[in-house]
Amino acid sequence: MNGSNRLAGLKARPKDSGPQEVKIADEIGEARGFLDRTPRKKPGRKASPRTYQLHPKVMPKTGESISAEAERLGITQGQLIEQMWEAWQAGS
Amino acid sequence: MPVIVLASPKGGVGKSTCAVLLASEFARMGASVKVLDCDPNKSLTRWASHGLPSGVTVHSDIGRSEIVPAIRKADGDGQIVIVDLEGVASQLVSRAISQADLVIVPMQPTALDAEIGSEALALVKEEEEALGRPIRHAVVLTKTSAAVKSRVQKELEAQLKAAGIDMIEPSLVARAAFSELFAYGHDLTAMLKDADMVTGGKIDKALENAQAFAEAVYERLK
Repeated sequence: MNGSNRLAGLKARPKDSGPQEVKIADEIGEARGFLDRTPRKKPGRKASPRTYQLHPKVMPKTGESISAEAERLGITQGQLIEQMWEAWQAGS
Repeated sequence: MPVIVLASPKGGVGKSTCAVLLASEFARMGASVKVLDCDPNKSLTRWASHGLPSGVTVHSDIGRSEIVPAIRKADGDGQIVIVDLEGVASQLVSRAISQADLVIVPMQPTALDAEIGSEALALVKEEEEALGRPIRHAVVLTKTSAAVKSRVQKELEAQLKAAGIDMIEPSLVARAAFSELFAYGHDLTAMLKDADMVTGGKIDKALENAQAFAEAVYERLK
């Protein structure tokens, strides 16, 4: 069967593949027990990506102190942590 | 180029084997073949992972919503499209049939295979009517005995012919080489050339069978 490509002359028959034809195929299939068996996705919110940050509840007193100091300085806790980080880097 | 769909709501009837044999034989004839592996067992993808014959590409993870656009795209690329379906009664099957130029229903010569396979044949007929276009379809018997034709096989063939069902001749004989393709990849000619490959069967006979099967399918696509 090697040699020239005899199959080159083969052609697909014209056919429609629009939403209407798909709907018809679905309906006929369903009536005969050919159902939608696509696996259902797991319900609910997807798990958040792990950040490896320590939760404030792990060291509540430290968390409260940072919160109080940030409030006293009128900045956010994030800004305070940035300042602490810079101070720690300058000192090390 | 034509779209060949292998359909049967029953598993283990030989859909994937038919797909591999047709893809590799058509590629040997010089065609570019795209195989859409819609079976969650990924038999064709496993075959491809061991190496593909030149001219064959395999696309995996084609689900219900992807099947129609995937066929349309492959068809437009000038390739022969072979769709290997899952062995369940799903809308993925009915959608694939709606886009087929030829539906092949493989069945082993057993009453159970025939009964479940006939659901696919009935579905094709209903889709033909509803879509207003003929969808050529045929049955191929698989895993038949090389030595003798069983009484059940003779009866089944007679029943299918009496019902006006197109039967592809020859049937696909139970050959170890067909099963081994999934373990070694490539095609039967590569297997024949590899002296180290041990299949425990006659590769030349398997190749002869596959070629005659592919020719019979080709005749139905003309």
